[in-house]
Amino acid sequence: MLWELAANLQLSGVIPPPVCRNFQQNGTNASVAGTDNSPRSTVNSTIQAPRRKFVDEGKLRKISGRLFSDSGPRRNSRLAGESTGNTNSNVSAASGNGTTHSSKYYGSSKLSSMTLRSMTSRKAQSWATENYGEGIRNDISDDSRLNMSVSHPSGDARPLEQEGPGTSASGVDVSSTSILSGASEILALFRILGEGYRLSCLYRCQDALDIYNKLPHKHYHTGWVLSQIGRAYFEMVDYLEADHAFGLARLASPYSFEGMDVYSTVLFHLKEDMKLSYLAQELVSTDRLAPQSWCAMGNCYSLQKDHETALKNFQRAVQLNPRFAYGHTLCGHEYVALEDFENAIKSYQSALLVDARHYNAWYGLGMIYLRQEKFEFSEHHFRMALSINPHSSVIMSYLGTALHALKKNEEALEVMELAIVADKKNPLPMYQKANILVSMESFDAALEVLEELKEHAPRESSVYALMGRIYKRRNMYDKAMLHFGVALDLKPSATDVATIKAAIEKLHVPDEMEDEL
Amino acid sequence: MADSSEGEEEGKLTGGSQQLVVDDDLREMGKKAAWSVSSYKPGNGVLSLRDDNLDTYWQSDGAQPHLVNVQFQKKVKLQLVVLYVDFKLDESYTPGKISIRAGDGFHNLKEIKAVELVKPTGWVHISLSGNDPRETFVNTFMLQIAVLSNHLNGRDTHIRQIKVYGPRPNPIPLQPFQFTSTEFITYSAVR
Repeated sequence: MLWELAANLQLSGVIPPPVCRNFQQNGTNASVAGTDNSPRSTVNSTIQAPRRKFVDEGKLRKISGRLFSDSGPRRNSRLAGESTGNTNSNVSAASGNGTTHSSKYYGSSKLSSMTLRSMTSRKAQSWATENYGEGIRNDISDDSRLNMSVSHPSGDARPLEQEGPGTSASGVDVSSTSILSGASEILALFRILGEGYRLSCLYRCQDALDIYNKLPHKHYHTGWVLSQIGRAYFEMVDYLEADHAFGLARLASPYSFEGMDVYSTVLFHLKEDMKLSYLAQELVSTDRLAPQSWCAMGNCYSLQKDHETALKNFQRAVQLNPRFAYGHTLCGHEYVALEDFENAIKSYQSALLVDARHYNAWYGLGMIYLRQEKFEFSEHHFRMALSINPHSSVIMSYLGTALHALKKNEEALEVMELAIVADKKNPLPMYQKANILVSMESFDAALEVLEELKEHAPRESSVYALMGRIYKRRNMYDKAMLHFGVALDLKPSATDVATIKAAIEKLHVPDEMEDEL
Repeated sequence: MADSSEGEEEGKLTGGSQQLVVDDDLREMGKKAAWSVSSYKPGNGVLSLRDDNLDTYWQSDGAQPHLVNVQFQKKVKLQLVVLYVDFKLDESYTPGKISIRAGDGFHNLKEIKAVELVKPTGWVHISLSGNDPRETFVNTFMLQIAVLSNHLNGRDTHIRQIKVYGPRPNPIPLQPFQFTSTEFITYSAVR
C-alpha cells in the first residue's frame, strides 16, 4: 500500500515531469491524454482534504484504513472517468482487477460490489490507473499483456494509453510524430516563458518584453504573463504602461496575487489613490492571508502620508510570510519616512537575508547612508544595487550623487551621463548634473543643462530655484529675481519658500557674506 | 504673517477646530522629545498630554506659570504648536495667556510667541513663524509652553493634548530644493 502511494505521489506530486513522461507512455492518443493528464495530476496533489470527506459521504467509514490510503488514485480516476465513458472503463478495469490485483484489492472489490453502482465504477477506474502506476515501475510485460486483453474488448482508449511500451505496435508511427510536435510545441512555449522570466530576473526588461511579445496571443493574455509584463514596465519606471498591463492582468485572472504587490506600488507612484484603495480592498476581501493584500493596503496608507498605519500593514504582510522580501523593503521605506533609520536598516537587511538580489533593499540602504552622510557606505550600496539592476537610471543618478558628495566630481559626472543615456525620460540625472556643475563653478554649462530641463519639466520649481541661485552668483539680479519668482509660483514646500524668500531679500548681498550670516 | 493675524484675531479665537487639520508638509515631532511639566495632579500627569485621548487632560498643581517642557535630543526645526483645550468642559481651568519659549535648555529660553486664547474649544493652532522668511521655522533644542493665566482667574490649568509640528525633511537627501513636478517625483525614488 505504502509503496503504491509512493508511486502515485511520484506521478502526481511533481508537475513538470509527468507531462513529458505521459507523452512517452501514452500510446495512441497522445494529444488528448497530454492535456487530460497534467491537470489531473495537479488536482490530485492539491485537494487532499476534500477527498477524504468524499469517502465519508459515500458511507464507507467502516473500511476506513485501507480505502483512505488508496484514496489518491480514486479521485484521480474519478476525474478521469468524467472525461471518458463510464461504463466502458468499468468493464475493462473490472477484468483487469480480477486478474492482477485480486490479492491486494480483494477486500475493497468485494465491498464495492456491495455499495453503490457509481462507487463501483469509480473505484474500478482507480484500479485502472493504478495499473498504470505500476506498469511503469515493474513487470511491464506482464501488465501490458494483461491490459491488451482488457482493452480490446472494452474498446476504451484509457487502458491503451496506459501501457505505451507494450502496445506500440500499431499506433506508433502516427503517434510519435504528433507526440514530438506536441512536445516541441510545449517546450517552445516554455522556452519563451522561461527566457522572458530569466531576462526580467536579470532586469533586462526591454529584452524580456520583446521575448514576451513572441508569445502567441492566447498565452500573452494570461494573468501571469501580463503581470510579468507589468513588472518589467515597472522596473523600467514606465508606470503608466505598467498600470495598463497590470489592469489587463487583473481582468484576465482577478484572483491571482502574482505581482499585485508591485501593482500597488505602481499605483502608489502614479498617486492613483482611488484605484489603489479599490485594489487593496479587493485583494484583502479575496485573501486576507496573502502578504500582497497587506502590501497594497500599506501602500494605500503610505500615499495618504499615514506612515504609522502603513508600517503596521507592511509588518502584517511580513508576519504572514517572513520570506516575502518586498514586504521587508516596504517596511524599511516606511521607517525611513518616519525617520527611524535604525529599524529601517534592520528591515532592509532582513529583506536582503531573504533575497540578496532584491536591489530595492540595497537602494534603500544606500539612501539611508546618503542621508546620514556616510557616503562611502552609500556608494557601496548603490553600486550593489546597480550591479543587480544595471539599467536603472534612478540608481545611477543616486550613485552619482554619492560620488559627488565624496568629491569625486569627474566620476560623478560620468555616471550622470550614463544615467541620462540609460533613460532619456528621467530628468533627475540632468538636474544632478547641473548641481555638480554648479559646485564646480561652471555656471554656463549648468545653465545650459537647466534650460534643457525646463523644456522637459516646465512645472518644476526646483529647476527655477537653482537657476535663480546661479544668476544670483553671477550677479544677474533681474534674471535671478525672475527665476525665484517663477519658482515661488510653482508651490514649493514651506521650507523652500523660506529659502527662496530669504534669497530674494538678500539678492544684493554677496554670497560670501551671506554664508557668514 | 501668522503673528499679526493671530494678534488681531485673539478676540475671535473662540472656536478651535474639532478636527485636527494640519498642512501636508508638516509632521508631528513630539514623539522624539522628552516631555515634562512643572507640576501635576496625580492621575493627570504629563502622559495625558500625549495619549491622543481628548477625554484625559493634564492638570497642573502649583503656582502659575504652569510649564510644559519639550526637550529634543538634537536641534529640530519647528513650525507649529497645536493645543486641544475645551472651555465648555474645563471652564476656569482653560488656559488664557500662553507664552511659547525656545532655547538650548532651561538656562537660555527666550519668548518667541505670546497668544491669548478666548473661550476656545477644540484644536488651537499657534504658529511659531516670524515675519521674516528666515524665521519661518524655529531651530531649537527645547520648547517651553507656559500658561501664564487662565480664564475666569482660574488657578490650575487643563490641557488635553499638545502636538508639535515641524517641516517634513526633503525626501531626497542632499538636494537644495524639494521637487514639485510629477515628472521629477516619479523618477526620484525606487520603491
